[in-house]
Amino acid sequence: MARRKGTLGLVGFLALGLLACGGPKRPPAVTGPPPPPPEDTSSGAGSLNPANPVDWGPDIEPVGGDGDLSSTYLGDEYGEGGPLADIYFEYDRSTLSAEAQSTLEHHAQWLLRYSSAKVIIEGHCDERGTVEYNLALGDQRGRATMEYLLSLGLPRERMTVVSMGKERPVDPGHSDAAWSKNRRAHFQVSR
Amino acid sequence: MSPLRKLASFSTVLLVCLVSAAPGRAQEPIRQIIIGGTQQRLAVPPCVPRGTDDMSRDACATITRVLRDDLAFQALFKFVDEGLYSALRKLEPDAPDFEDWQSIYANFLIAVRADADPNGLALDLRVYSVDTAELILSQRHTGQVEDVRTLAHRAADAFMALTQYAGVARSRIVFSSDRDDLDGDGSTKELYMSDYDGYNVRRVTVNRSLNILPSWKPNGDGLAYVSYRSGAPDVYVASLLAGQSLNLTQGAGQSFAPAWSPDGSQVAFGSTRSGNMEIWSANADGSGMRNLTQNRATDTAPTWSPNGREIAFTSDRGGTPQIWVMGADGLNVRRLTSVGNHSDGAAWSPSRQHSEIAYTSRLEGGTFEIAVLDLVTRQVRQLTTGGGSCEGPSWSPNGRHLVFSCNRLRRWQLAMCDRLGYQLRTIDVGAGQNVYPDWSR
Repeated sequence: MARRKGTLGLVGFLALGLLACGGPKRPPAVTGPPPPPPEDTSSGAGSLNPANPVDWGPDIEPVGGDGDLSSTYLGDEYGEGGPLADIYFEYDRSTLSAEAQSTLEHHAQWLLRYSSAKVIIEGHCDERGTVEYNLALGDQRGRATMEYLLSLGLPRERMTVVSMGKERPVDPGHSDAAWSKNRRAHFQVSR
Repeated sequence: MSPLRKLASFSTVLLVCLVSAAPGRAQEPIRQIIIGGTQQRLAVPPCVPRGTDDMSRDACATITRVLRDDLAFQALFKFVDEGLYSALRKLEPDAPDFEDWQSIYANFLIAVRADADPNGLALDLRVYSVDTAELILSQRHTGQVEDVRTLAHRAADAFMALTQYAGVARSRIVFSSDRDDLDGDGSTKELYMSDYDGYNVRRVTVNRSLNILPSWKPNGDGLAYVSYRSGAPDVYVASLLAGQSLNLTQGAGQSFAPAWSPDGSQVAFGSTRSGNMEIWSANADGSGMRNLTQNRATDTAPTWSPNGREIAFTSDRGGTPQIWVMGADGLNVRRLTSVGNHSDGAAWSPSRQHSEIAYTSRLEGGTFEIAVLDLVTRQVRQLTTGGGSCEGPSWSPNGRHLVFSCNRLRRWQLAMCDRLGYQLRTIDVGAGQNVYPDWSR
């Protein structure tokens, strides 16, 4: 899986990038000790009652090889260390603040300089609100970010928007401070 | 630690309907128990083991508990006090003494005998009308000894099939959980399924990505769900028997919130494949991709009406996200909800008795609760209330209950209540954040 990551000056943080999604620097989720499993959690595989033959074992579609989906992502430490810092949004909004625009102008300069780099723009939300709505809101944040980078001259084909909704908070807390960190666009660079 | 507690009986009732198929004929045996009228009483005495071996006795103990829980769950019946059974003479399941059962005011007797050995388990079910002293149902269910809960569930559903309500004891719930997230930071979620009572939890997906918003195929042999396994969110269709998933949306835009049509032929979902988030539908093999909404607003989270002719969905075209409805062809769009400023995640009841849509609604305090819109009266009733939020309702197969996820105790856990909001309880399906449940049909 140690495939060549190319040139481009990306190399510095590419080494980190192999770990990709959910790097080691994120704080652990705060959950209590897990409760005991339900009793009768019987039989992983093997035959069950023929009148109820649906025992699908564990796998629907195991990922091939080493199963490391994230090896296609080259740079990602959730905003830490990479050149493309996260930008942040107001609650329930996808408009770009002056500060976010300024950050994106820096990102555009960097991306225009390293012109074979592609960027995945992840739109994230805080935990408040329904899953479907937040997935749509994350998409709007990602698209607003992409439109601004587009206006700064970055080609459309180098950008992909992925909405994460409220599924991957960078801070698992339930405070205003945690929420404001989680309402963000995050950038993953690949080539 | 049964996740289902015994339930208080509810305000519905049981009538015996003597079905006379044609005028002039002699009275026919009881074929159906129509519920409505004065509540009547079931006797569910302890299962009788055929032998004295431990295996049969253990199986019987489980069968008795599961059968009683399954029937009590429906909140349609009164039950004979369990203490009375020991006062009666020993039950002979094939030839009960009706005087005994009449003396404790039972209207129906559900007698079960079980025979277990290492080769398998046989459950003999007899249902008697005590009032008319006749046998109305006689069945044998067989399987492996470890399937004892399933056999008891089948017996419960066989009894429910005598009523106008479908049983749900063999239904299952699929949900998303981060319990196997390797980093422990919640960045991956896999799909799991359990029996409706929280037992028999099994993992479904193993791709170490985000797998969310599962939807049961109506015949129960498949799922549709959202997975980020290729980086961006696509809708996948899984065949559970073949153990394979088909990428329905193939990376065209981002796709979310799939919902099966009631005949299992189509999947509707929200997608950005045309730029903006719109409702699309496709055949289950990915062919026949159709755009159903064209609007500058966000349209997502579709749910089909039970007859497949309409689709309700979330749209913020009116300024805030609310539930709207349209024909399955995308025409005739109308707004349904106007209570509150944030409604999402609609689920159309499969009930034959009630025309209702459950959804998630934000209250003034900022928390989210489960609400039900009665499509006939246009009244909304709020089912849940309290600290924290509840989200993502899904109906039981007969539309009498809902499952959803609540974070009342700082952890998202599955919860259930009946369609009026009574009998709220947590369903223990194991560790982690357990979200986005979908109840099989």
